[in-house]
Amino acid sequence: MAAPRADTLQSVELADGVEIQLRVAGLTVRSMAYMMDLLIRIGIYIVAAILAFWLLAGVIGPQMTGGLMMLFMFFMEWFYNVIFEAGPRGATPGQRSMKLRVMSLTGGPVTLAQAVMRNFLRVVDFMPGLYLTGIVCMLFTKRFQRVGDLVANTVVTYADPPPVITPNVEVRAERRAPSQVLTREEQAALLQFIERAPLWADERRLELAALAQPLTHAPGVEGLRRLCGMALWLQEPEEKRAAPPPLKGASLFQS
Amino acid sequence: MTPAQFEKNIEPRWQKLEKLLTEAEKSKPAVAVEELPATFRQVCHDLSVAQHRMSPQRLTQKLNALAIRAYRVLERRSAGGWEAFVRLFLVQFPQAVRAEWKLFWWCTALFYLPAVLIAVITPAHPEWAMALLGPDSMVQIESMYGESSKPSDYVRENFGSEFAAFCFYIWNNVSIDFKTFAGGVLGGVGSLFVLLFNSIYLGAVFGYVHYSGNPMTLYTWVVAHGAPELTGLVISAMAGLRVGLSVLRPGRLERRAALVLAGRKAMPLLIGAAVLTSLAAVLEGFWSPLDLPPAMKFTAGGVCWLLVAVFLMFSGRRQADAA
Repeated sequence: MAAPRADTLQSVELADGVEIQLRVAGLTVRSMAYMMDLLIRIGIYIVAAILAFWLLAGVIGPQMTGGLMMLFMFFMEWFYNVIFEAGPRGATPGQRSMKLRVMSLTGGPVTLAQAVMRNFLRVVDFMPGLYLTGIVCMLFTKRFQRVGDLVANTVVTYADPPPVITPNVEVRAERRAPSQVLTREEQAALLQFIERAPLWADERRLELAALAQPLTHAPGVEGLRRLCGMALWLQEPEEKRAAPPPLKGASLFQS
Repeated sequence: MTPAQFEKNIEPRWQKLEKLLTEAEKSKPAVAVEELPATFRQVCHDLSVAQHRMSPQRLTQKLNALAIRAYRVLERRSAGGWEAFVRLFLVQFPQAVRAEWKLFWWCTALFYLPAVLIAVITPAHPEWAMALLGPDSMVQIESMYGESSKPSDYVRENFGSEFAAFCFYIWNNVSIDFKTFAGGVLGGVGSLFVLLFNSIYLGAVFGYVHYSGNPMTLYTWVVAHGAPELTGLVISAMAGLRVGLSVLRPGRLERRAALVLAGRKAMPLLIGAAVLTSLAAVLEGFWSPLDLPPAMKFTAGGVCWLLVAVFLMFSGRRQADAA
């Protein structure tokens, strides 16, 4: 039984058979994108109203102008999000500013019908006010989907992969085979540990290495040294470099 | 093969894919991109291998992002433009209504029966309609369709006011259609509520005008645009109920899948209803206020109802046979 995951990655199998992982966006960042869009929309309304009643009203009369404003409001209210989300970028300006993107749950871009569906159902998500229904629905679905997302089969994801910091650090530990056969998950954990360990403080490394004491059979710095050695062995089982074995007292991580 | 070797092996492939994608994402690709699908599959394969071998995260994340990007490009499609929209309205919409004919008749009955019931009992028991309408609406109705009103009262002075009225009807009535549909996702309750509320209110207005006003004014005014407008409302409620029923009775499907499927089925209904209501707004804005003899208004109104009925019954039948 796998432990519950600590990240928001959602696996989706593409039609081509490969499994991709979507980084689903949560409540806060989506709210901020919504607020951005709200500000943009208010801005557009103000500009349009000024233009219409200043310039247009003199030419075609106040009644025609009022009518055009109503049509404009109708389209802004219902189709602002639809047009942007169904467009090539799959995101409204607000969503783009937060580096978000709307995707179909199949991994593909959102179709026009999906965009219409998820945005028209905002009416329900908004009820009884401040998107309460949508928020509750997001908290109870594992892909953070509001009602509109559920019906349209869409998710809001981050557009870019997370930034990866690769420390240029040499790990000076003696390569050694693990004392027992490791499962794939355990191997992955070790490999991720060696990848990320240079970014942490010494205390943190020791703390985490202490968890692997059943494997290393050694406490403290010696345990960390053995753990790093096993990770190095996993990375490259056969010795090729003719590097001298690290000195006993030398520091483990050296940039 | 060590992880480092693997990384070096696959690098030319994903770099090639990256280059092809940058080209294909432009609106007019200059260089040929036929190799894109094949390269995409290779990189997908590399991604699977990398995932299986627990390659470093930066590698799997990069390949993952590339695969998503390429899939978006490959799956990209245009919405089909106006031709697809016309086809949606003329063919798929009536087909969708006929496919759900039971639901259509339920909604029609739920809309018209309470209205007729209220309208019929109002002249004998006006207190029901009065309670429903409230004093403000009654004053308004008196001023619009009162005993001294004539059908010609609705002639507007100029084109501008007709256009403004048209825009208002689009904004107000089509928005009501959309909201009626959206309410349906709550197990159909929202759509039913809007449908019944409008039905009872409409019945009360008609009944009250019969009781204390000049019905002729009202009928000549509404007879033409009523056909597409009321049908549009009934069908948008029907679209909402389609989605709502899928939550209540998903049948053999999982609830989530049933919801998605119902959403797809409801789409042509919703768009069709919106187009009908927009047509009603055109009629209500430009035709209904014309000063014409009642006989002509009623003839035109009858034609409108007939057209809507024939359209829903027969449009797109041949395409259904061909398909």
